[in-house]
Amino acid sequence: MKGERQPGETLSDHGSFRLLVLLGAMCFLLLPLVGRAQTRKPTEFDVKAAYLFNFGKFVKWPSSVGSDSDTFSICVLGANPFGPVLESTVSGEKIDGRSVTVRRITLASQAAGCRILFVSSSEKDRLGSIMPAVSRLPVLTVSDISGFVDRRGMIEFVMDHDRVRFEVNLTAAEQAGLTLSSELLKVATSVKREGQAGD
Amino acid sequence: MRAVVSIAVSMITLISAASAQSSNPLAHLTLEQLGNVEVTTATKEPAEMRNTPSAIYVLTAEDIRRSGARTLPDALRLVPGVEVAQIDSSKWSVGIRGFGTRLSKSVLVLIDGRSVYTPLFAGVYWEMQDVLLEDIDRIEVIRGPGGTVWGSNAVNGVINIITKSAKDTRGTLISAGGGNVEQGFAGIRYGGANGRFAYRLYGKGFTRGPEYHPNGDNFDDWRRGQFGFRTDSNITDRDDLTIQGDIYRSVVGQELGVSYYSPPSLVTIQKNIDLSGGNLLGRWRHRFQGGSDLQLQAYFDRTDRGDINFREIRNTYDIDFIHHFQLRRQDIIWGAGMRLSPSQFFQVVPTVDFEPHHETYKLFTGFVQDEFAIVPGRLSLTVGTKLEHNSYSGFDAQPSTRILWTPSEHQSVWASFTHAVRTPSRIEEGFQFTALAVKSIPLYLRLIGDGNFSPEKMNGYEIGYRASLGPKLFLDIASFYNHYNDLLSVENLPPVPESSPLPTHYILPIYLRNGIEGNTKGFEIAPAWQPMQRWRLKATYSYLHLDVRRKPGSDDASTVQQTEGASPHNSATFQSLLDLSTNLQLDLTIRYVGNLQFPKIPAYTTADARFAYRLNKSIELSVTGRNLLQPHHFEFSGDPNGPVGIKRSLYGQILYTR
Repeated sequence: MKGERQPGETLSDHGSFRLLVLLGAMCFLLLPLVGRAQTRKPTEFDVKAAYLFNFGKFVKWPSSVGSDSDTFSICVLGANPFGPVLESTVSGEKIDGRSVTVRRITLASQAAGCRILFVSSSEKDRLGSIMPAVSRLPVLTVSDISGFVDRRGMIEFVMDHDRVRFEVNLTAAEQAGLTLSSELLKVATSVKREGQAGD
Repeated sequence: MRAVVSIAVSMITLISAASAQSSNPLAHLTLEQLGNVEVTTATKEPAEMRNTPSAIYVLTAEDIRRSGARTLPDALRLVPGVEVAQIDSSKWSVGIRGFGTRLSKSVLVLIDGRSVYTPLFAGVYWEMQDVLLEDIDRIEVIRGPGGTVWGSNAVNGVINIITKSAKDTRGTLISAGGGNVEQGFAGIRYGGANGRFAYRLYGKGFTRGPEYHPNGDNFDDWRRGQFGFRTDSNITDRDDLTIQGDIYRSVVGQELGVSYYSPPSLVTIQKNIDLSGGNLLGRWRHRFQGGSDLQLQAYFDRTDRGDINFREIRNTYDIDFIHHFQLRRQDIIWGAGMRLSPSQFFQVVPTVDFEPHHETYKLFTGFVQDEFAIVPGRLSLTVGTKLEHNSYSGFDAQPSTRILWTPSEHQSVWASFTHAVRTPSRIEEGFQFTALAVKSIPLYLRLIGDGNFSPEKMNGYEIGYRASLGPKLFLDIASFYNHYNDLLSVENLPPVPESSPLPTHYILPIYLRNGIEGNTKGFEIAPAWQPMQRWRLKATYSYLHLDVRRKPGSDDASTVQQTEGASPHNSATFQSLLDLSTNLQLDLTIRYVGNLQFPKIPAYTTADARFAYRLNKSIELSVTGRNLLQPHHFEFSGDPNGPVGIKRSLYGQILYTR
């Protein structure tokens, strides 16, 4: 974090000394940029944004999906609860060599090019028309709407006291052609296979 | 020179690295680590507020917990447009946009879909309705006519108290505390879940001391106990079933003036009255293959009110269904329902009577509402109507139309027109209330409801605007113009002699008619600002202009003055919710209510403060002070000896959750 020093330089070199002081001062300016995110306690959406980004590493999409596209899209359907956090979480990052971008969409029919679709709680009453439109697409559907995994949603965020966890509907993912890594399933609080109660 | 350049290059790399890499430090944690991160409660305006073309305000569970309120009416003080005035220890006047009275006759109140509005007096007995506050998920308040979906008598607003699903109340919760006014309270709840089935059981009780009486007559202490349960289950992938019930008993200190036909003609009676009741509700929701859903709800509610001057036992049976489906650009809800409410009235004093003593209120309702997306996601038009038939006034229709324009994700504008109706209660149908007026004659006034009362009608025009001005500031503005017709009036005829019962006396008959009309207009502003993660600020300001007058042919001499005088023109609240640290919370509320003309009550400003310390993961200790700025202050009148002062109060609480 501190400025680098060229080997061989000593403080007795006046020009470098002044530069070092300048560097030190500038680092104090930089500190807030890098350190700010850590001085406050994270919100549930900081954690959900991190999850969405991470899910991309533990899910395999069928080969038919976007072999020619070089972006990995995470889409948000409905009102945006993340603020700027989702964009800043993925900015500069890559998954499988593809740079990650965030798209906002207003209709389920626009979800075709997405790898991951987050359905905002603002769409709670519209799941009846949203889910049929996206369930067969090779899109990982994620939401924090209560009961999402019972409505063919693939991943549902749930709060456990002050922690964000998630439940998985494996059948829904398989029907869309997605493979969920066992590492993801291991961490889920429950994995639902259609026709059985989740544990 | 080369050193300078290399250092500069490293600086530039450092700066660009800081902004090009994820600035969310959580991004590189493993899934398992993410599951262990403790988060603060995020602020989000509930989704309901964003997309609804009405003046809706939501009190979240956290808002209620941090307001320091121990009763439902106290929690409602924070809602713009709602006027709450405490009459004594157990009685409140609650109104929305005017017409606040002890019985809140034009506000529909529901707990989990069950109406707690009594057809006896057309209103809500707030001291009879209670929930374990920690079980409340949210309270949704719609100012303005409830529109098509909500039902009869939602003329000025709807207050919907929604408790948490049993899935969200697992574990043990114990809450206990006491103070000078809320002298002792305790609540315990236990919830568990097993696969698709979740349940909870709870019990609560409290005892409250009297408020301030200038004449030292402290009759209004009361105590209450309640217990109940709730179960939520996913019986299949497409079906949810909720069953819940409560039983309660309350003993309330009251004082009332009662008249008799022979000496002593007027007596002030103090008594501890007995209120009890219970309810059982079931709600089944089924999702069809195509995406539509059907909800069927049935409930039973029993109330037994043994007041000083009457006793009523009422059993209510209600069943209704709602079907919700979507076409290409339309979102349609429709439904129907039926309510039967047989009641038994027991005459306790000769001067208060309902006829017939045994009577069944019948209500049949149907509604349909279509939300049409003119421009999907941007502009929608909602049209609908409620149709009702009740056994007092027959058939009525309450149509409504609303428009919602969302020019951007950050703003929305809505406007609406609604026609709403307040149907008669037993008071207007078959009621006699006789009170001594002049002892020497003797002359009595007799209020008579003889069934010649038509429903009160209202046409409401509203417009509102909501905006997120940046990620930290939210603004909600609503304004309204309501025109009322056929409002309740009291028309008297010349006195007539009466000799049954003896001794002979004179009666001044006063009939309940529809001789008042008028309008209300006003607006509410509610900004919310979160300057820092740990600090939330909320404010509300409400303005009301209420103007009623007699219709031609009416001789009413009192209603205009009483109605206009009972609501404040201005009121405001300001709240600061501050997390001093992860373990300390400091919450402050300042409330201003303008003066009332009739009863004559001066304006007041008072404050509530709460300080909470989280000892460990399971235990939170808190101290709350309410009405702190004066030793006592008056808010409303209703008891025989004039206004009762609401005392400055303090209580401590321990909350244990596991």
